[in-house]
Amino acid sequence: MIPYVLAVLLATGQSVSAQDVIVPTPPFGGSVSGNSNSPQPAPSSIVSDAIISGTPAFASSGPAGKKSSGGQTSVAVPKALEVLAELGGVPKSLETLRLLEAQQRRVAQRATATTVSVQIGPAQGCGVIISQSGYILTAAHVAMRPGEDASITLSDGREYRATTLGMNRGYDAGLLKIDPGQGNEWSYASLGRSEAIVPGMWCVAVGHPGGYDAQRGPVTRVGRILEVAPDTLLTDCALIGGDSGGPLFDLSGRLIAIHSRIGNDITENLHVPIDRFASSWTRMQKGDAYGFLPGFRPTLGVRGKSSYKVARIHEVRPGSPGAMAGLQAGDVIVRFGKENISDFRSLIKAVANTMPGERVAVWYDRDGDRYRVIVEIGRQP
Amino acid sequence: MNRRFLFSLIALAVCSIVGPSGACADERRDSRQMMQLLRPVAETVADSMAQVICGNSPVALAVAVDSDGLLITKRSELTSDPIQVRLSDNRLYPARVAATSRPNDLAILKLDASVRLTPVRFQNTVPAIASFLVTPGRTGRAIGVGVLSANQRRIEAAGRLGVNFSNVAEARAMVSRVVSGSGAERAGIEEGDIILRVNGVEQPDEQRVRAALKQLYPGEEVRLTVLRGADNGGARPFEVSAQISELDSLGESKNDSLVNGPRNIRVTGFDVVLQHDTVLDPDECGGPILDSAGRVVGLNIARAGRVVTYALPASLINSELPNLIARARR
Repeated sequence: MIPYVLAVLLATGQSVSAQDVIVPTPPFGGSVSGNSNSPQPAPSSIVSDAIISGTPAFASSGPAGKKSSGGQTSVAVPKALEVLAELGGVPKSLETLRLLEAQQRRVAQRATATTVSVQIGPAQGCGVIISQSGYILTAAHVAMRPGEDASITLSDGREYRATTLGMNRGYDAGLLKIDPGQGNEWSYASLGRSEAIVPGMWCVAVGHPGGYDAQRGPVTRVGRILEVAPDTLLTDCALIGGDSGGPLFDLSGRLIAIHSRIGNDITENLHVPIDRFASSWTRMQKGDAYGFLPGFRPTLGVRGKSSYKVARIHEVRPGSPGAMAGLQAGDVIVRFGKENISDFRSLIKAVANTMPGERVAVWYDRDGDRYRVIVEIGRQP
Repeated sequence: MNRRFLFSLIALAVCSIVGPSGACADERRDSRQMMQLLRPVAETVADSMAQVICGNSPVALAVAVDSDGLLITKRSELTSDPIQVRLSDNRLYPARVAATSRPNDLAILKLDASVRLTPVRFQNTVPAIASFLVTPGRTGRAIGVGVLSANQRRIEAAGRLGVNFSNVAEARAMVSRVVSGSGAERAGIEEGDIILRVNGVEQPDEQRVRAALKQLYPGEEVRLTVLRGADNGGARPFEVSAQISELDSLGESKNDSLVNGPRNIRVTGFDVVLQHDTVLDPDECGGPILDSAGRVVGLNIARAGRVVTYALPASLINSELPNLIARARR
C-alpha cells in the first residue's frame, strides 16, 4: 500500500462539513482574479452525445477486450516480444532489448500525437485525447472545476478551446472536452484495461514537465510498473509539475493510466489507472465534481452557521488560511473566486471546489466596507 | 515566465506521496539484471573510461579523446586542486586542465605522465525518441539507462549573481536586494553596495554591469570590486569573489529541491543538447553516452532535474574536439 503523506497541493474537495470550511490565505499577489460569471455546469447537450466515437471501453461498462477499442495508438506487438509486453521483466537478450526499444519508439510516437497541454487560467497540466468527438482525460487537479474554459495545445502546436466536465477527485480523475465547431483533426488514444497491468511491465509516459515549451515539445519517458494498487499505479517514469494529466501507455500502445502525483523518491510516480476513469465516466460526463483524495481536502479554516441568511464568520481557526489572510469573526463573505456567496452553505460548497494550494480572491464586508484578500487554500489537518 | 507555471508545478510536484513504496528494486528499469544485460554495450568503451577526482572527491567521469594522455570532461565540476584521473584499470595520475570550452562546459584534461590511452570515436548519429541510452561508469560497467526524451535543442545560459539593482541604467550599479541563498549573499554583498568592476574591468553604469554579468555561466566565479558606504566619505572599494548561480535554483522551494534531487552546479548554457531521462548523480556526468548498439552518441553534461539529464550530441563534441585538442597540445 502506498501511504499518502503529502507535501502540498493537490486536490480535492467534497462537501465539507458545515461547520468547518476552511480557507487559506497568504497574501500573495494573486492570479486568481474574480470575474463574476459563475461557472455553469457543462450543458447536457455537450455531454449527451457522449461517446460518439472512440470510447468503447467506457461505453460498455466492462473492460474493453484486448483487441477492441479503436483509437489510433495501438501498435501490434511482435511475436518475439509478446511475453515481455504482457508479463514485463528484463529482456533475455540484447536482441530482445532492441525489439523492445523499437516497440517503445513506435508507441512514443503515437502517444505523443494524442498528448495535449492543458492551460486553465494560470495553471498548466496535460491531458490525452481519447475520442474523435474530443473527450480528453486529465487529472482532477488539472481540470479543477466543471465548466472552466481551457486552452489545449497539441504536440504539433495546434491549439483548441475546451471546457472542463466532471471529476472524481477521489481518484484524481478528470475530464474535459474540446468545444464543438473546431473540426476533429486530432488523433486519439486506444484504451487499455487496468486488470492486465502487472508489476515489471514496461510503459511509456508522455507529458510537458515544467510546462509547455514549444521549442522542446512533449517529453517522453520509459519505465516500468513498480506497484499496482486499485486506485494507483506506481512507476519509475519520472514525473514533475506540469506532467499532471498526461498519459501512460503500455507496449501495445494502449492508454493505461493518467499522471497524478509524486513522492520525493525518483521511483515514486503515481498514475490513475484507466479503469478508475471508466468507473467514474457517467458522473464525470455529466459535469459532476465529487470525492476527495485523502490528505487533499481543502480548507479555509473558518466556521459559521448555515442557518444565517449571510455567510458570517463566527470563528477563525488560528494559523488557518483564513487567519493568515486576515479574516476575522464577524466578517461576511460575499464572494469567493468566481462564486457569489449567499450564505455559509454556499461558501462551503465553493471551498470544496478548490484545491489545497490554490489561491483564491475573497471579498468580505466588515464594518460597512468591502475588502478583497487572496487566500491560499490549505489542507484539512 | 516562471510564474506562469508556478501553480502547475505545485500541482504535481507538490502533491507528494512519500514513504517506503515497497517497490521491488528488481522491477526498476535500471535493475541489476538490466545493468547486467547492458554490460556488453557499456564495455565497448571500457578502455577509454576514467573518473576525475578533485581534492579527495570524485567530481565527474571523463573519456579519452586522444591517445597522448588527453581526456574530455565537464569543466564546471573541476573546482578544486589537485586534479587526478583514475583510469578504468585503476591507475591514478595527476592531471591538469589543458583546454576549455566555456560555451559548452567542456574541459580537456592532460595526464601528467606518459600514458597511452584508447580514444573513443563520437558518432554523429541522433537516436529516435524513446531509444535506449546507456551510461558507462569508470570501469565500463553500465551505471545508468534511460531513453531519449525530446528533440535536440539549445539551452540558453541562465546564470545569475543573485542581486537586484536599483534600475537606473545610466547610474552606478547599486544593489537594491540580495537574493537569499545566492552567490552574492555568500560573498557578503549587501544592499546599497555599488559594483564598480566586474572581473577587474571598470563598468561605469548599471547597464554595463548587467551586460558583463550576463556573459558569465552558472558555476563560474566572478571577481567584483565593490564600494560600500559611499555616503560616509572615505569609503574604499574592496574585492569579493562570488559564484554565479542557476536562476532556477535561486528561490527554489524546499519541496522542489527535494523532488529534483541533486543536480550539477551548471545545468544551462549549451549550444545543443540531447535530453534523456537517465537518473545520474551529478558526479556521473562528463562521460560518454551510448546507444543500444554501443555507439558513442554523446557526452553527459548535466543532471538538470528529476526528469532531465542533458548530453551534448556527438556532432557538437566532434565540432569542438579538433580545436580543443590543438590547444591542449600547445
